[in-house]
Amino acid sequence: MLKRSLNITFFITVGVSLIVFIYLIFLGYDEIKTLKDIVKIVSSILFPIPILFFTRFIVIEHFLPENTDEYKAKHQKSATKFLVVSIIVTVVLIQLLEAITNKKLENALVLAHLINSTTISSYVFNFLLYNNLKANGILSGVLLALAVHIFFLSA
Amino acid sequence: MNLFKTSGDQSNANKRDMLFSFQTIIVAGLLTFTTIAFFFYNDLSIVKGIKVVFAPFLSVVPLLFVLSILRDLRKGFVEGNYTKQEIVKFCVITLGITLAFTGVTFLLSKIEALEILLAGIIAILSIVFFLRSKIKDILGMSIVTGIAEGIIVYMIFLF
Repeated sequence: MLKRSLNITFFITVGVSLIVFIYLIFLGYDEIKTLKDIVKIVSSILFPIPILFFTRFIVIEHFLPENTDEYKAKHQKSATKFLVVSIIVTVVLIQLLEAITNKKLENALVLAHLINSTTISSYVFNFLLYNNLKANGILSGVLLALAVHIFFLSA
Repeated sequence: MNLFKTSGDQSNANKRDMLFSFQTIIVAGLLTFTTIAFFFYNDLSIVKGIKVVFAPFLSVVPLLFVLSILRDLRKGFVEGNYTKQEIVKFCVITLGITLAFTGVTFLLSKIEALEILLAGIIAILSIVFFLRSKIKDILGMSIVTGIAEGIIVYMIFLF
């Protein structure tokens, strides 16, 4: 089961998240002055984990699709659609939020850390336990959108 | 990684038990982290050394007493699914406890004395271990999750 789950896509997605994380740290390096900032970053990374355990606790039997070729073929299209839609929606949403609050995401790095860690832990969880292709698409989309926003759209 | 490897040949109750243990470990780690953060941030100095040594006993002794006289309160984890109504109910409970513990952590941050802070945190830890050993149920899980999230929410947004 483990062997099947951990393929190259998994490592690349986790890698993207890691790069975003390092870049975020790098961006906010000047602002990390006191212990308080470190506490905030660590907490925002830890934030999704208890929720994930709780969710897993409740939905112990739901959607456990077998990762067969039929399943893949059946869900390819919808998963790709979800990926594209969630990239666009997330990018637009972040832009909108920045426009409304008149603030850059770079100035609220805790929020960026929060999005990053929540997405990647849900992704890892989904990949290892459920392998639900649609959820996989959405989560990859959000992660990609965050990466695109941080690397390209915020000059 | 063991969780993922062996999850195929285990009953759901066992899996739930394991998740509950993980959650407890996380909360214990978080509380340690909180203690360290408060110590450093508030510049609390360990002057009253003897008092600090005795502070944990304040809450550990009652815990041991309660654990020794109480029988198990719940039957343990159920094998099957929870109903929708139960899920909603326990999510609301979790949310409530999260809010409550955001407040509790806020109060903890107001405490100036090291020994009282330590006693408070150990008291929360005792509650968690009490839940772990006696209320093995979805109720225990939602309370433990609520405690963890409450502390984290305070640390991110209010600290």
